[in-house]
Amino acid sequence: MADKVICVTSGKGGVGKSTVTANVATALAMKGYKVVAIDADIGLRNLDLVLGLENRIVYDIVHVIEGVVPPEKALVRDKRTKNLYLLPAAQTKDKSAVKPEDLVNIVEDLRDKFDFIFIDSPAGIEEGFKTAVTPADTIIVVANPEMASIRDADRVVGLCDVMQKPEPKLVINRIDPKKVARGDMLDVDDVLQVLSLDLLGVVPEDKNMVSYINRGEPAVLFEDSIAGRELRNIADRLLGKEIPIPKLTYSEGFLEKLKRLFGSE
Amino acid sequence: MGFVDKLREAFGRPPAKEVAKKRLQLILRYDRAGLPPNAVEAVKEAILKALEDFPFIDTKGVNIHIPEGDSEQGKIEIEVPVKNK
Ligand SMILES: Nc1ncnc2c1ncn2[C@@H]1O[C@H](COP(=O)(O)OP(=O)(O)OP(=O)(O)O)[C@@H](O)[C@H]1O
Ligand SMILES: [Mg+2]
Repeated sequence: MADKVICVTSGKGGVGKSTVTANVATALAMKGYKVVAIDADIGLRNLDLVLGLENRIVYDIVHVIEGVVPPEKALVRDKRTKNLYLLPAAQTKDKSAVKPEDLVNIVEDLRDKFDFIFIDSPAGIEEGFKTAVTPADTIIVVANPEMASIRDADRVVGLCDVMQKPEPKLVINRIDPKKVARGDMLDVDDVLQVLSLDLLGVVPEDKNMVSYINRGEPAVLFEDSIAGRELRNIADRLLGKEIPIPKLTYSEGFLEKLKRLFGSE
Repeated sequence: MGFVDKLREAFGRPPAKEVAKKRLQLILRYDRAGLPPNAVEAVKEAILKALEDFPFIDTKGVNIHIPEGDSEQGKIEIEVPVKNK
């Protein structure tokens, strides 16, 4: 499979890399694929929280690099989702503790044992980003439909090109149909006109996301989560299924329009 | 947003997303070319000054821009038309 080692990155911080990684990895594991998610955000461990695995961690990626344990021994198995494993980041070390060749070695070690290897990249475009991208054969750039996020995503695309990586695929996260309908927020077509990348998915703003993360339960586990549904679609598209990007639907009623004009919203 | 702002937006002001898109398209052209945002203006000013001494040049028609498209990246294009006699 060409899309085996997948790095999720963004440039700008807080746009949803860990959310996308945790959910798409979970969705693929639920389908029976063997999946490992590597948290490459060294010093700012996070992926364990989104997956609800934080209190099961014994070893982390730096133990593996220091030779304390082999990669497989450091993996945390998800009890709830069969076939899903996490390689946690170190929380106390800094980004320089993991070099690109270290991550390449770990990925090579795990390659034959898994169907998918996800790498959750740190924000930024420095060392940590480069380390996360180096072993990947597929890169997903997550962007919010906002100026700074899109500008940073474009930087990342340029750097991937310099690193001679394939062109990243785009996931637009946190799009709000209501704001799009009002003309306040860039819509999918606007973003594509600016970035011109292959679109892998559009994940809507989901007001329940906070509670999913608070409970350590990825959105894809919930049938009725609006973000979960699109995150499952992303997993299917990675498997090569042709699922059209659903149209955002929201039409503002006349009363709402009036309320917006006169009210405080 | 106050009532007046909202009214103005409802009648004729371009929606925020259009403004954002235009700004982004411009920003990214400079980012991709690795140029500071005032690059074109600054170069234009210098070129116009240098061309002042040449009466056969149509300074009004001088056109300086960053060309679009991947293959065109890494240059600023300067067109200097000569006056028709
Ligand atoms: N579709 C969504 N709807 C609502 N909230 C979301 C959505 N996606 C992400 N969030 C929220 O955005 C916040 C940041 O998400 P996340 O941690 O995944 O970003 P990140 O890119 O990994 O951040 P960092 O750069 O710090 O690693 C979280 O609080 C998450 O709940
Ligand atoms: Mg993260």
